[in-house]
Amino acid sequence: MMSTRALGLGSSLRKVALTPSLARNRLVVRNTVARRSIQTESFPPSTAVEILNKQRLNRPSSPHFTIYQPQLTWLGSIANRATGGALSALLYGFSIAYLVAPGTFDSTHVVEFVAGMPDAVKYAGKAILAAPFAFHSLNGLRHLAWDMNKFMTVKGAYATGYAVLAGTAVSTVALVLM
Amino acid sequence: MSTSMLRTTLSRRLPAAAHQVRHAASTAYVPGGPIYKGTVNDPTTFPPPSRSHGSYHWAFERLLSAGLVPLTAAAFVTSGTNYPILDGILGISLVMHSHIGFDSMIVDYLHPRKFPLIGPIVSWTLRTATVGVLVGVYQFNTNDIGLTELIARVWTA
Amino acid sequence: MQALTSRSLARSSRSIRAFSTSPGRWQAEPLQKPVLQKEFKIYRWNPDEPAKKPHLQSYTIDLNQTGPMILDALIKIKNEIDPTLTFRRSCREGICGSCAMNIDGQNTLACLCRIDRNASKDSKIYPLPHMYIVKDLVPDLTLFYKQYKSIKPYLQNDNVPEREHLQSPEDRKKLDGMYECILCACCSTSCPSYWWNQDEYLGPAALMAAYRWIADSRDTYGAQRKEHFQNELSLFRCHTIFNCSRTCPKGLNPAKAIAEIKLALATE
Repeated sequence: MMSTRALGLGSSLRKVALTPSLARNRLVVRNTVARRSIQTESFPPSTAVEILNKQRLNRPSSPHFTIYQPQLTWLGSIANRATGGALSALLYGFSIAYLVAPGTFDSTHVVEFVAGMPDAVKYAGKAILAAPFAFHSLNGLRHLAWDMNKFMTVKGAYATGYAVLAGTAVSTVALVLM
Repeated sequence: MSTSMLRTTLSRRLPAAAHQVRHAASTAYVPGGPIYKGTVNDPTTFPPPSRSHGSYHWAFERLLSAGLVPLTAAAFVTSGTNYPILDGILGISLVMHSHIGFDSMIVDYLHPRKFPLIGPIVSWTLRTATVGVLVGVYQFNTNDIGLTELIARVWTA
Repeated sequence: MQALTSRSLARSSRSIRAFSTSPGRWQAEPLQKPVLQKEFKIYRWNPDEPAKKPHLQSYTIDLNQTGPMILDALIKIKNEIDPTLTFRRSCREGICGSCAMNIDGQNTLACLCRIDRNASKDSKIYPLPHMYIVKDLVPDLTLFYKQYKSIKPYLQNDNVPEREHLQSPEDRKKLDGMYECILCACCSTSCPSYWWNQDEYLGPAALMAAYRWIADSRDTYGAQRKEHFQNELSLFRCHTIFNCSRTCPKGLNPAKAIAEIKLALATE
């Protein structure tokens, strides 16, 4: 109602409604179109998906780990994977090296090589090996507990998470001094 | 009434092919892409069930991990050279545990459905490496001093 | 008549904007609150300019002229600064799940998230992570809903009783903490596994909804429901990361529900 009044079409439309003559109707509609320069296109319903899909292809993916708050939950999880991966890579690397060159990577040579290093490097190396081992082992226990439905609350996850971190620190020191 | 009128009036003015939707190959389904299978009202589908990829795999992984707990503890208090069988079981378990770990990284980050070329390459590389590692560990445990003893000696070197 | 009333009201009160009713002369003058300007940085992307990369747009508003929640700030910005800012909202009381977004790094409902009154720190508002963006803070949730539909979120029972399905109080209790889910998608979009594999992995929301029906004593299709998950992607991409339970604005525990499904699958 408001729009017809605004356009001043109220009276002419009413006239059309009263006298439904085809010629007059077309004239009024065409005039309306010309004045408001409306352009509509008609599509079959099936094109809706195509139009939507074309639009979807433009859509960006929102940012994720770069903007997500650092939390013990997911940082602990990725640390579990990283430490496990690093230790496994070491196992794989050494085993394949021994398979390829058993003369170079036999225990005598390896122990000799390590023994020849300065103490600082030895301690640093032990810490670099002990910390991932301790974390992955203790966090593995946490995961096994979870899989048996223990500590399956946010509180439990945080309490055990901090316990694992504390345990890692203590075990790392103990292992380095071993 | 007047809507149909409008349409006939307009269709004369518009170029016939202006709204023809092009069937571009880019609107094909790509896993993880912005275009989904089926309409918005179709539910997503499930792959054919396979317990060896499902619960058996999961349970095996947990039992293996749980088994590593006493094996690791035993390795700390015994000598690998005195208990070669124990050392061998630990070696094999660690390799299997590592293989499952690497494999789950491939499934998470490089699944063949998303990476049809690099996914299978990495997957087969891993399998080959694991076989090599198993042979290497076997040889090291039989011809040399064994993994536990090696770690013990390196640690106190 | 109308104009006259409003003029007389304006004369009797100096701060007509802040109050719907005007204080009389005998009432105390309202305290002039100090201005507390806080900056909000909001993710913007306009589908009408698809080539323009998404960016953060900065808005500064007076917190003392704003309601307490992030949603109040968003509505204020939309009303008074930038009407093109687009976001979903409806109930403003945490029951519809429309205004789920990432606020200061955490997924939550804007209507349940208080504005940090520390004005020296800006607040960053992003849409839900790793989702295709329709516009600004509005993600495309089509796949999320399709996944919810796939777990058949309704009662399935072939032995229809003559009257109603009876359930013991203990069995009913098993559904507490699950039926309250409002499907806001905060949990699923906080899950790294869902970020990398959302086309196949169902995500915590759909999985908890599935367990809600597996655990229901009135539903007899538990075996069929569980059988769907026997593959490497639908369920077993869950690595118990716990982001889901940590972020749930309703305080629910999807991680536990998923752990229950895994145990049920392994022990059946």
